[in-house]
Amino acid sequence: MAVDAQAVARGDVAARPRREREQELLVWPDLVFIEFIAAVVFTVTFFVLSVALNAPLLNRANLNITPNPSKAPWYFMNLQELLLHMHPALAGVIVPTIALLLLAALPYLDRKAEGQGVYFGTPNAVKITLFSAAFAAVFTAGLILYDQGRHVNVVTNIAQHVDKDWEWPTVLAPFQNVRAIQTGWEWEIPVPEGVQVGSGEHDGELNWPQDFEHVPMPFNGTSGPDWMQWDKPDFLPGWMQALYWYDLNLNLPAFVVELLIPVALMVGLPAALLYLLRRLGWLYGVHDAAIALFTGFISVYVVLTIIGAGFRGAGQDLVLPWDVPRID
Amino acid sequence: MAVTEQPRGPRLGSWLYDKLFHNYVWRSVFRSGYPDTPRNQMLAIATNVFLHLHPTRLHKTHVKITHTYCLGGITFFFFLALTVTGVMLMFYYVPGVDRAYSDIAALETNVRFGMLMRNLHRWMAHGMVITVFLHMMRVFYTGAYKPPREFNWVVGVILLVLTLLLSFTGYLLPWDQLAIWAVTVGTNMIGSAPLLGGETRYFLIGGFEVGDAALIRFYTLHVIGLPLLAAIFMAVHFWRVRRDGGLARPL
Repeated sequence: MAVDAQAVARGDVAARPRREREQELLVWPDLVFIEFIAAVVFTVTFFVLSVALNAPLLNRANLNITPNPSKAPWYFMNLQELLLHMHPALAGVIVPTIALLLLAALPYLDRKAEGQGVYFGTPNAVKITLFSAAFAAVFTAGLILYDQGRHVNVVTNIAQHVDKDWEWPTVLAPFQNVRAIQTGWEWEIPVPEGVQVGSGEHDGELNWPQDFEHVPMPFNGTSGPDWMQWDKPDFLPGWMQALYWYDLNLNLPAFVVELLIPVALMVGLPAALLYLLRRLGWLYGVHDAAIALFTGFISVYVVLTIIGAGFRGAGQDLVLPWDVPRID
Repeated sequence: MAVTEQPRGPRLGSWLYDKLFHNYVWRSVFRSGYPDTPRNQMLAIATNVFLHLHPTRLHKTHVKITHTYCLGGITFFFFLALTVTGVMLMFYYVPGVDRAYSDIAALETNVRFGMLMRNLHRWMAHGMVITVFLHMMRVFYTGAYKPPREFNWVVGVILLVLTLLLSFTGYLLPWDQLAIWAVTVGTNMIGSAPLLGGETRYFLIGGFEVGDAALIRFYTLHVIGLPLLAAIFMAVHFWRVRRDGGLARPL
């Protein structure tokens, strides 16, 4: 039983008796023997596996022939899968970096010593683990299917049984997939006479997406009144010019699709998971929250890896595993 | 208790035993005999260079297989076995664009047990990535990252990254289509970093595309740079397990 140290200090609970020597074993021979047996079993297993199964060796490397699909090693295929759904900097660098930093910071966020030494050390840990794993898996797979527009296929198939000419309605155009917000959606708002929007010409209305693709950032040196404009920093070396806040324009539709929505989902869904567990009355304290988030992370990692490795065919299309072309 | 056994005269077996294990040379290697008293058994662990990272005693629940599933230990076995098979592969492999692929192909057909060594190395590399993950899950779900083991969890995360990098750098070495395109895809991801992405990628693969420079860089990191780092962090990792009081126990 876990004993709360503060409760012991107050005298509410008796301290656990000091552990007795008869509860202990000697490392020699008890543990050393187990390690030896494990090593033997391990060695035999891998010799048998390696006799039975040959490592792949494809054709000689050739940068002029791109296999379709080209895939990263399997443990990075989750990141490759993310690349299909968000900005490459986010998928390839920022998300894994933050994930690793959070993982390393875990013991400094969940500092209570209680609940260690046994599996699932809090009363609701198993329920939280199962729920979080299912929650993360369902949402990850669901979002991938949504971004591939699979719901459009399903609805269209069903609707065309009723009406042969049915097509996805224009009003739902931005809901074909996430990218459709940028590419498949058009609307305009009229701009009153005499109001100057931006610096360029306009036809009396603001059109989505093309009029939102170069939204000047404040104080970027090229927009606004004269005193807010200055010269290009030519005196800086090239790579520092790239870091300099000059002539920065925001591609708003791309920003929404590639950064805003993915970040909102990656922050919002874990938060929603914690809120849901709290409402269910299962979540007590940081240890429970850590179990939920860690389980969710593992679940997302596994689902992304499986989909990236097993369900992505030529052109990174979503296909069934047996339709993934073999490359040589 | 009375002594019931009569002292026996010398027989062939005990004579042989005496000659084999009580001679001058043997005693110079193993200073004491087989440890059969608790004191000697603890000394056997504490005074042996290979075993001294262990504690001398451990709680009896910790030798139950289901407590750890030996995952950390198996990961370490993977590292050792990968080192052995890796050294053997190095005898036959030259990390150059002209030689690498044909060396691997020759290893499979011309070298006795070459295919076996390569298979072992590859499957164990995959296995190590898997067991590192499973070990991390075991440690997490037993709450073993909690005080006083916070820092050892951080060392573990570093070892996870090193394992992934070791596997990734090894992926390029066969120089086949799988290798070069996996590394191209992987390093392109690094190239998309918001700051200095292109520069980092150039630094990593020594050019704008994966070629000779990338091969020698990955090879050097794979066979010496990363294994050395990993060995150092592993030593700290195991030492801290012992210094932090062995495996986590309920409070």
